[in-house]
Amino acid sequence: MRVAFVGKGGAGKSSIAGTFARLLARRGERVLAIDSDPMPGLAFSLGVDRSDAGIPDVAIEECVIDGRNTFRLRSGLSAEEAVLRYADVGPDGVLLLQLGKARGVRGENAGSHQAFQHVVEGVPDHGWSIVGDLPAGTRQPFFGWGRFARTVVVVVEPTPASLLSGRRLARLAGMPSAPRLVAVASKTRGLGDAELVRDGTGLPVIGTVPFDTSVSDGDREGAALLDQTPKAPAVAAIDELVSTLINEEEQP
Amino acid sequence: MKVAVVGKGGSGKTTTSAVLARTFARSGLATLALDCDTNPNLGLSLGYGEEATEKLVGVRQALDTGEEGHAGSMIELIDRFGVDGPDGVRLAIVSAIENPEPGCPCCGVSPERLLADMDSVEGVVVADFEAGLGTIIRMGDDPVDVVVIVAEPTAKSLEVARRAADLVKERGLGRVIVAANRVRDADDLARVRSVLPDLEVSSIPDEPAITRAERNGVAPLDSAPDAAGVRALVELGERVLSSPISA
Repeated sequence: MRVAFVGKGGAGKSSIAGTFARLLARRGERVLAIDSDPMPGLAFSLGVDRSDAGIPDVAIEECVIDGRNTFRLRSGLSAEEAVLRYADVGPDGVLLLQLGKARGVRGENAGSHQAFQHVVEGVPDHGWSIVGDLPAGTRQPFFGWGRFARTVVVVVEPTPASLLSGRRLARLAGMPSAPRLVAVASKTRGLGDAELVRDGTGLPVIGTVPFDTSVSDGDREGAALLDQTPKAPAVAAIDELVSTLINEEEQP
Repeated sequence: MKVAVVGKGGSGKTTTSAVLARTFARSGLATLALDCDTNPNLGLSLGYGEEATEKLVGVRQALDTGEEGHAGSMIELIDRFGVDGPDGVRLAIVSAIENPEPGCPCCGVSPERLLADMDSVEGVVVADFEAGLGTIIRMGDDPVDVVVIVAEPTAKSLEVARRAADLVKERGLGRVIVAANRVRDADDLARVRSVLPDLEVSSIPDEPAITRAERNGVAPLDSAPDAAGVRALVELGERVLSSPISA
């Protein structure tokens, strides 16, 4: 499976992505979770100890591609090896690869960012599932960062601001070569909220994660939802989402 | 006077920015609300309504589509593309991403450049930054007067706030005021203070009326002006104004 979670800030991307990755791993998949936000968020939701570890400079070399100076993984180092070497191992065996800490005024970590993209795109399809947590908003999802994904899930709250963000992402996804875009209704409080998300974004709603105070309680402690409250309604809803996406990916 | 509002996505930057901007305007200051998010929603919180907010065009996009010439100063651009709203706040969107291949990056319309070029602006500019630290990092050493860091008492939000505070301090980017948002109890406030010691903190209580306003796409100042959370944001605005304006 190759899935990326996007949406407005605070919609629940990281909480859903982190829980999703672990539940997928519990079904026997080898899961690489990737956080392409320079601000660490997914680590908390996975229950991985805080770290800024990205791909270190020693693993990167400068090169020229199409006449442009750029960076790539050091020759001889495959994407898979880089993952095994530099990703953190989290609960349920999920591997977490992070973009690395934001630093410098301009481009000082362009090398590790480009290497991160190469790694994500170079991980072999066979034997790996990738679950990505993309930064808030519309800046990143379609500019190279979401290329690994076969399905992009927009996490949408039933609020006008979140719906508007969903519509903008849907318009961007209308462009050629964009991946399949679907929505998950997040923090729903009533039966009509999923319809609100469907009608407000024009996207198919493939899952609903109810408003659940155990999510905000866990956030206060910095604890993963799955560790803090494994029986929370939100966990059950995310597990259902895992089933839905597995079934959909198995369809031809 | 320039005020930047920063923090993690979903922490409440936009709601805070909107109440600050309208509070400044009500006190008689010419106020520009600058939406620096490429996914701009500030119009909703200011009370422009859903339809008008969705139709607003970013300065950058207007330039890219050739609707406007590449001439003129930043201030002129804002004048041309700003839209007046409730309490006389003028709202301008810097750049809305509407195309996976955005146009020429050399146009120079970016939040950090706009802010740096605005030294001659009279009144107050309230800049609602994009989630995370990207814009602060790109500001280099160009200061603003006040940086409001909006932080929820959650581990993720405080992590972003801590990094923002470190950057602002290291580069001398302005006076920092922490808006501790969605505070439920003394423990919440203590959580914020322990991660961000030695900083001015304004406590904003968890406010159902603000959640309702967000669900309805209206400005909290219009729908619930007397709610404790809204009042606390207005007081934050008064506190921001009480800071010395840098020469």
